[in-house]
Amino acid sequence: MAKLYLESWAPGFGSPVEADQSLPPSEVDVDPTVEVTGAWEPLPGLDDGARSIAFVDGIRRIDARLTLFDDDDPANGPIPGVCASYAVGATVWHREDTPYSTFEHVTVRRLAVLGRGRIEQVPHVPGLDYLTEATEGEDDAQLTAHVQTRMRQAEGACATDLAREGHFVVADGPINEFAPHQVIGYVKTHHRSYLAPPEAACVGRLRPGERTPLFRINPLGKFQRYSWYVRLATVPFGHAWSGVVRCESAFALGREEARVVADRTAAILPRVAPPLHIDPRAPQNLVPIAALEKHLRHQLGDAALVERALRAALHAQTTLPAPRPEATRR
Amino acid sequence: MTLPPFEPRRSAEGGRVGRVAGVGQTTSQEFRVVLDGDRYLAVDDLVVVRTEVPEAGTVSTYGIVTESEATYEGATFDSDVHRIGDGGFQPAERVRSARVAVTRVDPEIWVAAGPGEVVERARGLDRQRALYVDTIDPQKRLAVGVGRDGDEIEIDLDYFDGTKGGHMSISGVSGVATKTTFAFFFLRMLTGLPNLDPRATANLRALVFNVKGEDLLWLDRPSTKFSEEDAATWQRLGVEPTSFRLATPSRDGRGGSRPRDLGAGSGPTVAYWAPPAKASRDAVLPDVSGRQEGIEAFYWTPEEFIKEGLLQFVFTDASDQRNQIPFVEERVRTQLQRWMQPVEGEPGAVTLVDPSGAVHSAQGEVIRDMDSLVTVLGMLLEPEGDDSDGHPHPAWAGRVQPGTISAFMRRLQSASSDLRLGRLVRAGVSRRIDRSAATVTVVAIQAMHDLAQRFVVGALLQETFREKELTGQSHPLSVVVLDELNKYAPREGASPLKEMLVDIAQRGRSLGVLLIGAQQSASRVAPDVLENASIRVAGRLDAAESERAEFGWMLPSTKARARLLKPGTMVLSQPAVPVPVVFSFPRVPWATRRDEVRPEGDPFKGL
Repeated sequence: MAKLYLESWAPGFGSPVEADQSLPPSEVDVDPTVEVTGAWEPLPGLDDGARSIAFVDGIRRIDARLTLFDDDDPANGPIPGVCASYAVGATVWHREDTPYSTFEHVTVRRLAVLGRGRIEQVPHVPGLDYLTEATEGEDDAQLTAHVQTRMRQAEGACATDLAREGHFVVADGPINEFAPHQVIGYVKTHHRSYLAPPEAACVGRLRPGERTPLFRINPLGKFQRYSWYVRLATVPFGHAWSGVVRCESAFALGREEARVVADRTAAILPRVAPPLHIDPRAPQNLVPIAALEKHLRHQLGDAALVERALRAALHAQTTLPAPRPEATRR
Repeated sequence: MTLPPFEPRRSAEGGRVGRVAGVGQTTSQEFRVVLDGDRYLAVDDLVVVRTEVPEAGTVSTYGIVTESEATYEGATFDSDVHRIGDGGFQPAERVRSARVAVTRVDPEIWVAAGPGEVVERARGLDRQRALYVDTIDPQKRLAVGVGRDGDEIEIDLDYFDGTKGGHMSISGVSGVATKTTFAFFFLRMLTGLPNLDPRATANLRALVFNVKGEDLLWLDRPSTKFSEEDAATWQRLGVEPTSFRLATPSRDGRGGSRPRDLGAGSGPTVAYWAPPAKASRDAVLPDVSGRQEGIEAFYWTPEEFIKEGLLQFVFTDASDQRNQIPFVEERVRTQLQRWMQPVEGEPGAVTLVDPSGAVHSAQGEVIRDMDSLVTVLGMLLEPEGDDSDGHPHPAWAGRVQPGTISAFMRRLQSASSDLRLGRLVRAGVSRRIDRSAATVTVVAIQAMHDLAQRFVVGALLQETFREKELTGQSHPLSVVVLDELNKYAPREGASPLKEMLVDIAQRGRSLGVLLIGAQQSASRVAPDVLENASIRVAGRLDAAESERAEFGWMLPSTKARARLLKPGTMVLSQPAVPVPVVFSFPRVPWATRRDEVRPEGDPFKGL
């Protein structure tokens, strides 16, 4: 009989996975001539008065580490698993009359992932609705990456919903959706330079409120999109690229609309960037997103309580319930 | 002492206002309320929470709001308010809460209010329970004003009239604390409220000393400052807003006076007394400048002075107690009483006769006033020349050192000047203050020297106290209102006056002599006097004063606010209610200053 065990190590241990931000290796082609054909100069932003802007983000937390051990088949060895919670949502900045912000579309999901494609079910935990999924991987990084993927999918769905409702959406991280919605991806870190030296020099010359001309990533590939750099703030003693973020929009949005949203981000994003002293990730970690992360973390519930509930549920199990038909591997 | 327009807060609605906060612990003493978006709680508001307690069932927790709080939930830095308020791009929730001190738990099971329980504003019966009004006999509920919620605040009369406690202490800085005005408002309620036990209020007599200005000489005159709103509040509290009626004491026999008929209305009466003016040697006119009519002059005849032993109140200065002077004074006082004989044809005057029949050095000298008293005593105590070989009379001086005797004589002489006691003792028809003539007897001693003020206060307090001691009846009650109590019963030093006040504070309760003492600094008043006051009231307090131990009965939040109280707003502490309550009282219909007096023939007269 297979049985699930909760690892006694705190869930924070184990290799943290940065299963994000890295791009498919095929994406190296860049067309810098979509907006201007000559030499690049910084372009001023323009706030066209978008009525509401939604900042979408998600957070996740590993609640516990699991081990599935098959007493009937000890040779099989322990099979790893994780219990994780993630939350996605948006800070919607209503900009008419008296501006104010609200948290909207906030959802919390809990997920148990078992490695090696095992389809056993985590027993019911009162008050916590864990959905069990299987993945072929078997190390921590792969399990966590699975959770990350689910969270990114939820973020994408949330961004699409908000865009359909008429909000201009700023989603954290690269865009992973390519329909013609007013959704831009907001990339805080620069793992690579997309631009060749002549254009890259323009980034260094940006002042707050200015952007580079649009460029097109992967013009011949599958995940085509527009991108541009925006300077949020002048960072004292910073290098030329500090205080700069990269934004993306779907290629399907069309060049003209992409220019409009690019101008908008160049004008608006510096306004919601935090001053350097209030956030260790300033200025890139925008105030609405920082607030949202704090709120979402709160929504996940107390980590110790969640872990305790899991432990109680697993200790109470006699046999694992049969796999739920709809919860097999996806 | 002018009061601003009286504006009781509009009665707030009852019903749910929020829930008991769940962050941090609630205790049986204190909890916090997180308010609903559309409700508020202000400091001094009363609330009730009902908690289901295992085994015990529903427990009602009553409390009073001691602090109101608000914060942006979601803000970490002060500068976040700009991002929240101006830019609007940082989400935050404005959370308002209130801190509540528990006043009562019913049934008496002291458990903490449950987090998340619904909090309601206490109205009606709940409000009565929160303030323990339900435990007060309806005949003893004395309304003294309205609370911050617009409803009546009541004093348990049992704790004033001597049944369970007595005396009242009023503190506050001069000018804005409206101490004296409140004392009179209280007296007016005490004599006017129809619900009160008639035993406690019938034939009540109050003795009041006017020690500053002539502010208390207008109790019978309508005020120009009194508004219709004030009148409405009076009506609501249950008393017709009328001034005191002027009573004219009769000269033909004690206690037979009747209030002069001033037309419609009834209510308590007032009589004014003042010492004779310096120049009025024969006419005996009262020494007041503001008004002449309706004021009686008073003095003591030498006969009364000696009989009542008033000599002790000549030596009330703390420095008088340090040497042998009290010993001499006591001996002289007793001797005077033993040797005194009336003089034929001169009412009030006395002469001294040795009971043994022996002739003494002051034989035949008539005592008509202080000067002649000093002369006669001088003959006996400090004889000059051959009369008795320069030796003082042994029955009067005993074995006291000559230096002490001359110190005694020096002090008596200086006290006898016309500016001090000279005016207060004179032969003639008895003109003692008739305390039975009116409900309120105002004695105007503001123009007199400190020494004379203390003399009058001492003499009248002794008279009041002795009368009660003799009859042994506590009813009708006798109330004494004394401002600047620290002058008469100071914390440091000893004097016969202080002893008398301590005695009244300690025993007066059972004898029906009740002291309403007022002072700027309670810390400068004898603790014995202060501690015996069951009812404590404070108007605006000096910041340093409010931190002293004498105001330990206030909550920290009350102390902080006591510095800011407006005229007419006061803090009340009474034994029946374990927390101090803030209340306001309406302006009074009588003038509290000369310039407030409404001219005669005013169309609003009798409003």
